[in-house]
Amino acid sequence: MSSAFKMADFSFAAPIIFVALWACVVLLASAFSTKSSKLGPLTAFGFVIGLVITGYFWTALEQPRMSVFSGMLVLDRFSLFLDMIFLLAGLLTSLVAHGYVEEHGFAESEFYAVIALSVVGMMLMGHAGDFIIVVIGLETMSLGVYSLVASWTDKRKSTEAGLKYFVMGAVASGFLVYGIALLYGATGSTRLLVITSRAAAHIGDPLYIIGLFMVFGALAFKVALVPFHMWTPDAYEGAPTPITGFMAAAVKTAGFGLLVRAVSTIFSGESFAYGSTGWINIAWMLSMLTMTVGNVLALRQTNIKRMLAYSSIAHAGYIMLGVIAIPVLGLDPSAVLLYLLQYAVTTIGAFGVVAWVGRRDAENTGLEQWAGLGARKPAAALAMTIFMLSLGGIPPTAGFFAKLYLFKSAMGHPSLLILVVIAAINSVISIFYYLKPIVAMYFRDAGGEPIAEPMRSSSLSVAITLAAIIVFLLGMVPGSALEMAIKSTIGG
Amino acid sequence: MTMINELLVFAAVLFVIGVIGVIIRRNTLIVLMSVELMLNAANLTFIAFSRARGDVLGHGFTLMIIALAAAEAAVGLAIVVAVFRSHKTVNVDKFNLMKR
Repeated sequence: MSSAFKMADFSFAAPIIFVALWACVVLLASAFSTKSSKLGPLTAFGFVIGLVITGYFWTALEQPRMSVFSGMLVLDRFSLFLDMIFLLAGLLTSLVAHGYVEEHGFAESEFYAVIALSVVGMMLMGHAGDFIIVVIGLETMSLGVYSLVASWTDKRKSTEAGLKYFVMGAVASGFLVYGIALLYGATGSTRLLVITSRAAAHIGDPLYIIGLFMVFGALAFKVALVPFHMWTPDAYEGAPTPITGFMAAAVKTAGFGLLVRAVSTIFSGESFAYGSTGWINIAWMLSMLTMTVGNVLALRQTNIKRMLAYSSIAHAGYIMLGVIAIPVLGLDPSAVLLYLLQYAVTTIGAFGVVAWVGRRDAENTGLEQWAGLGARKPAAALAMTIFMLSLGGIPPTAGFFAKLYLFKSAMGHPSLLILVVIAAINSVISIFYYLKPIVAMYFRDAGGEPIAEPMRSSSLSVAITLAAIIVFLLGMVPGSALEMAIKSTIGG
Repeated sequence: MTMINELLVFAAVLFVIGVIGVIIRRNTLIVLMSVELMLNAANLTFIAFSRARGDVLGHGFTLMIIALAAAEAAVGLAIVVAVFRSHKTVNVDKFNLMKR
């Protein structure tokens, strides 16, 4: 806290600063060109450069943990790995959005800049070393995503979804800042590590406990754990489809990144982990409820977007299982990181196909409209099949391997065994509804019904192909990604 | 200095009023006001603790929250305007296009 920051700190924050600057470049480009037709690829290009920069930082980082800006930002491989997930999600989203926005003709040119700025917020959340950065990052991300959800202003569902998401999100940030205020009152600091080091003196302190639970509740809201999930189906269904994928992938990853950071710092005290006020018992219940409720409600959906929304709730439950395992098993986030990576790519790919199947004035998100798609569009149907198998956790895909690794690492602790069994049962249940689109595409005859006629968009095809290849490769040869995730430790 | 407890209780009451307002009021604008009340309760708590501890960290945080609340209000009101244009109402109960 005492040391002033150095100019060199700016170079260590280069990935974040670069994306923020690129967002300005996109904004300027939109101001100077009357057509917005090149902004999607332009934004995607920026994300590619961002990925290269972040990848370089990941390899070149010498210490396990660097404090930048006198401890405000933390640079460790864990946060850099998260950055790569955000950038990859942003890249795929801006490619998907490019085709979708052109087809439906709704968004203003700021659309892509807001995507980039939300990514900046997420990166800040991943790097946060102080609650001030947590709040700023979270709000930067959320305000961007609220407006992206509501950006299709001609569509009633979109504005309604935006409003619902905004009100719930604003309440969550109210709880977050009030919780932080209580933590500050109890410990006299907003720095995560300082709070952690002073935690032992506050074991029975009601201020401290209430503060922790308020922060936890706000994060649980962002990742849509079950009692805090009410907004998810509506916001996901009403949002423009590429943004739904962005929310499911990137916003969820950012929330879990912060949650992992929190469980490895402020929640990590032994008494909090195992004592009578242990958050682990509560997290255990939330995880079980989340996966079960998400899966059971997904079973009866006929709208693919809504089905995938409930599926994303279920996946939050599985990831929560991994988060609980982190402090129990000695702060190894590799299983969560790998799962987040594959889930982000898979879900953006799946929503990419959903976006691709729609035409102007006909979004075709109903399962019955997908009948016979397999025969007419074999490539897209194959991609969707890969994504669905991956979400369901069926072998040759990324989802299988990541889920296996997550469950296997969680089983290292006997107290989590029951939860792993419940998660495995849930995975089996989930296969029923992930097979529904596949059955509709391949085995259902369209008859004389009007069926989906997909749009033509090269950037959307590129995004779907890229996502499908990544999902397939992560499933077939997971070695290098796994190695990278294992090396991405949380700086102590 | 003996005001700390009173301030904290006052802030907690404000926060609870905000939460209740969000839950029971049907007008979106009043819901937004209630959210602002929650944020201001956090501000007041920060200021009170900052005064009790005699450091400025809480003041800094409060300024940050004020700025964020302004940004949030700007985005929120823009969304309310968009919703009013498409739905012709700001009553929360009327927003049920997607209820199953």
